[in-house]
Amino acid sequence: MTSGYLLRRLASIVLVLAIVTFAVFAITTILPGNAAVMILGQYATPDAVKALELQLHLDQPWYVQYLDWVGGAVRGDFGMSLRLSLPVSQVVGQAFVNSLVLAGTALVLVTVVAIPLGALTAVKRGGIADLLLSIFSYLGTALPEFVTATLLLVIFAAPDNGIFPAGGYVAPWVDPAAFVAHVALPAVTLGLVLMAHISRQVRSEMSEVLNSDFVRAARLKGLRERRVIWRHALPNSLAPAVAVISLDIGYLLGGIIVVEEIFAWPGLGRLLIYALENRDLPVIQAVTLLLAAVYALSNFVSDIVIAALDPRVRHA
Amino acid sequence: MNVAAPDFDRSRKDAPPAPVLSILNYSLAYATERGPVDALKAIDLKIEKGETHGLVGESGSGKSSMAWSIMRYLPANAIEQAGAIRLAGEELLQCSQRDMADIRGQRISMVFQDPSTSLNPAMRLGDQVSEVLVAHRGLSRAEALEEAQAALARTGIARPADMLRRYPHEVSGGEKQRVVIATAFACAPQLIIFDEPTTALDVLTAHQILDLFNRLRDETQVSALYISHDLGLVSRVADTVSVLHKGTIVERGDIGEVFRSPRDAYTKRLIEAVPDPDRWIGADLPTETSPLLSLDEVGVRYTPVSFLDRWLGSDDGDENVFWGAKDVSLGIRKGELLGIVGESGSGKSTIAKVLSGLQDFTGALDFEGSRITARKQITRDYRRKVQIVFQHPDASLNPRQTVATILSRPLKLYGIVPRSGIAERIRQLLELVRLPADYANRLPHQLSGGEKQRVAIARAFAAEPDLVICDEITSALDVSVQATVAELLVKLQRETGAACIFITHDLNLIRQLAHRIAVMQRGRLVDLFDRADAMADDRHPYTKALLNAVPVLSSETSDSERLTP
Amino acid sequence: MRRTAIAPNAVIAILLLALIATVAIAGPWVAPYDPQAFFPMVRLQGPSAAHWLGTDEYGRDLLSRILNGAPETVLFGLFATVFGVGIGALIGVTAGVLGGWADNAIMRVLDGLLAVPDLLFTLLIVTVLGAGMGHAMLAVAIVFAPGMARIARSSVLSVRTRDYVRAAVARGESGAYVVMREVLPNALSPIIVESTIRVSFAIMIGATLGFLGLGAQPPSTEWGLMVSQGRQYMFSNPWCVAVPGISIALAALGFNLAGDALRDSLDPRGSRR
Repeated sequence: MTSGYLLRRLASIVLVLAIVTFAVFAITTILPGNAAVMILGQYATPDAVKALELQLHLDQPWYVQYLDWVGGAVRGDFGMSLRLSLPVSQVVGQAFVNSLVLAGTALVLVTVVAIPLGALTAVKRGGIADLLLSIFSYLGTALPEFVTATLLLVIFAAPDNGIFPAGGYVAPWVDPAAFVAHVALPAVTLGLVLMAHISRQVRSEMSEVLNSDFVRAARLKGLRERRVIWRHALPNSLAPAVAVISLDIGYLLGGIIVVEEIFAWPGLGRLLIYALENRDLPVIQAVTLLLAAVYALSNFVSDIVIAALDPRVRHA
Repeated sequence: MNVAAPDFDRSRKDAPPAPVLSILNYSLAYATERGPVDALKAIDLKIEKGETHGLVGESGSGKSSMAWSIMRYLPANAIEQAGAIRLAGEELLQCSQRDMADIRGQRISMVFQDPSTSLNPAMRLGDQVSEVLVAHRGLSRAEALEEAQAALARTGIARPADMLRRYPHEVSGGEKQRVVIATAFACAPQLIIFDEPTTALDVLTAHQILDLFNRLRDETQVSALYISHDLGLVSRVADTVSVLHKGTIVERGDIGEVFRSPRDAYTKRLIEAVPDPDRWIGADLPTETSPLLSLDEVGVRYTPVSFLDRWLGSDDGDENVFWGAKDVSLGIRKGELLGIVGESGSGKSTIAKVLSGLQDFTGALDFEGSRITARKQITRDYRRKVQIVFQHPDASLNPRQTVATILSRPLKLYGIVPRSGIAERIRQLLELVRLPADYANRLPHQLSGGEKQRVAIARAFAAEPDLVICDEITSALDVSVQATVAELLVKLQRETGAACIFITHDLNLIRQLAHRIAVMQRGRLVDLFDRADAMADDRHPYTKALLNAVPVLSSETSDSERLTP
Repeated sequence: MRRTAIAPNAVIAILLLALIATVAIAGPWVAPYDPQAFFPMVRLQGPSAAHWLGTDEYGRDLLSRILNGAPETVLFGLFATVFGVGIGALIGVTAGVLGGWADNAIMRVLDGLLAVPDLLFTLLIVTVLGAGMGHAMLAVAIVFAPGMARIARSSVLSVRTRDYVRAAVARGESGAYVVMREVLPNALSPIIVESTIRVSFAIMIGATLGFLGLGAQPPSTEWGLMVSQGRQYMFSNPWCVAVPGISIALAALGFNLAGDALRDSLDPRGSRR
């Protein structure tokens, strides 16, 4: 893993983000006719439209608008929210932290549950645990987040005898116990799909590794099964598991939108829905860029982790 | 079982020495959806101390199952029907998995076929050797690593201390196999099972590993079961041999005797199928010496990827341009069979691709008076006259096309026969390669490896070519099938007068077939000679090394028969 | 050995798909009641003899509403995927066949588009185009295209290097022949498998859009929309949300399992030594 490789990966990420932002820009600003009309709606007066156009620099050629925006973005200035009359960076910044807390919790949950579960069922094939995992993983990937969320709410958050609150947010550093109560359902909802998918992947990877020639060779050296699993099978199964997790982060970022909306969690997802409903363009653009950047960065981080786990990649 | 140092003499201290391994009337079957399938039938086998016993069989003979049975590592659907397997008198069939774990690696160990897949890619080599010492001899990790270093040195590894810290992908195939061998010998086992340990290696490396095996065996007097499909090889290492055919031992005995006077029909067939360089089966020497096709300083440059790609991280920015082949000048004569030999990476397949118009190249090809300097210039007429047959029978036929469709393509493309004559010509082609006419309606997966290769050859000859390039067409086949395919090729050559370039790493085979032999090393042509001059003194040193390394099936292999390098 | 794992999957997949197909095609005609008919006397009830799946806040029969909404929900998934696969596979095959810098350029652009999470991208497009099933279908198709392109391309690339394709090129077969008769027939299976699985994703995304009010609009009985409408009363009668929710899951599951079963049968792993 040379510094050259790292630099090239970062350059690749920058290129990807450029394409993403351009695409978003194109969709929201350039495409159907007039963005100002889109924002104000069909019944807007021509004067109001004109004023908004000037405010948003829509009179400038599109490449100037784009460069303006990019220039600002690099400096951390995403303009002003149209509805909230606050700097976008401030609004988005706060929401980002809240989303991070939720996503982080979900990821921890997923890692702690899914990987051992997958590994266990790979080692002890057949039997009840295997079957239950299969059912769980299939259901998990077939339930959209909004259905899971709704069902969980029905079961656990009934107004009179609910175990968990139906929504809202308490920061972990303010009140840990309340935080746990509030994050439980959203994190489980978010994590369910990932847990199902990842445990299945880990199981299949690990099964393949357990059938590989070098694991067979290790067993035929007379090593204890525990050593075979921990020192031979697992390290070679983790790298693919990490790869899968990083791909699924994209899914996580999509799911977070719906989950935050349903559980009234004040993060990027909820902010995005609000911005979409209210046509708050600067906020839409900033949030999209942020989510795409997070995705790209997570792929980058996972590449580094994989290199740490798999010496073949390191020296490639 | 804590033993301080390797002690190979311990069995001498015991009373009447039982054979190290004795297999008595052992039978094994596998349960499948179609019912139980026999794998081994009534096997009797004995290996005494210090003896190397060869187990010879082709694919499907059950030789691998034998190894798994001894190691007690059978899949869940294995049914052991009868018999006994005893290690120095102890009945292995009664052993629990726990007991077997003690025995494996310590009293019986195994050397596998492919060192690339039998070593853990994420663990340092030193750890992979030392872990047996820690597990079985109770050494601490530091002690075990020291011992491992000594073991690696014994197997001829140049810098053992270095090797301890390396990962498998950083070292060569030969070095990896030495590590595996070192691990097998580490705990001074009574028996080592070698499962085709040189099949995945190059000729020269395989030769070194065989020498290593002989040396270690002489030093330690360990008993060995040497499994292989290669008779010539087995004759160099084994004292006794059993021949396995479809799960039954059809012949056994002292190695010299079995090869001098085989009694069983299958054994005889097997021995006959092994290429004997002194037995000429090729076509007559062509009278014309003017070349049909020549290469003039042909090279293949694997160019670095485009600037944009490098900038965006698609390759490692390797400045070294890699030459697949360089400055190759060669002429093929009409009706001749020219052999091209070399190890992997020698460039022989690259040349095949250039000649068949699949690869861009530098330099020039001269064919029928015209000079071709780029792939684009290759005409359809050239492509008709120069045909290619590939190595892997599974990959060279479109799995979704019937044999008839496959054979009809060249007929239609080149207009060899009018539409109405296609069916008849297909019938003739099948007859030519000795396949039944009704195979025309079959799909490739319904054919065996050898049959698929014959279809591929028929396809090549369907175009009525002047030159057929055979790129390692027998390497993926069993020994007995190899001989049939080689003979078929020669017959076709005789009948059609086509020239043939036969690419292979099997020197014995090529000396049976080729009029002239070219030797390639690392992309360059290093030697070119007539068949008769193979053993002459003015051969290139690399040629001499290759000829020396190839095992020749012989009842007596005397050192004086080998070339001095 | 592997047999035991495949057979039950395939059987369940076939059964589910059959059920889904029947419901999606014949649903509205088989419904016992008019999906919009009110039965205020029995509102917010669980399953009963008269209403097998219960009723919603207006007393409308849930079973009828589900059956009525089946074509919308399921066919949305199918059509969106077909369009997406069509566009994507075309791009991917072209990239794979062309190779060189064209292939590279296309892949870079696709990588960029793939960096945006699916749902997010869909939301953006639908917001711009306006709510509604048609726009939602188009959005999903556009969002699926890059992923399918990538799969198509990698499939083509792996087939391109097979010996039988090389043999055809060496023979001097025309480019069109090589692509159409040698490459494509053998490159299709991964594309088909992925498409089938994508249908399940499309169904889920469509339902999510309906839930958010960006897909189907009232008075449609699309299942996502039903969940969103049922939320208000979910504590009074959980069946209002459970019934459409589980239906969505079953439909997605059917296609998911079918894709897996297809993958197992079309692409068997080689036997281990």
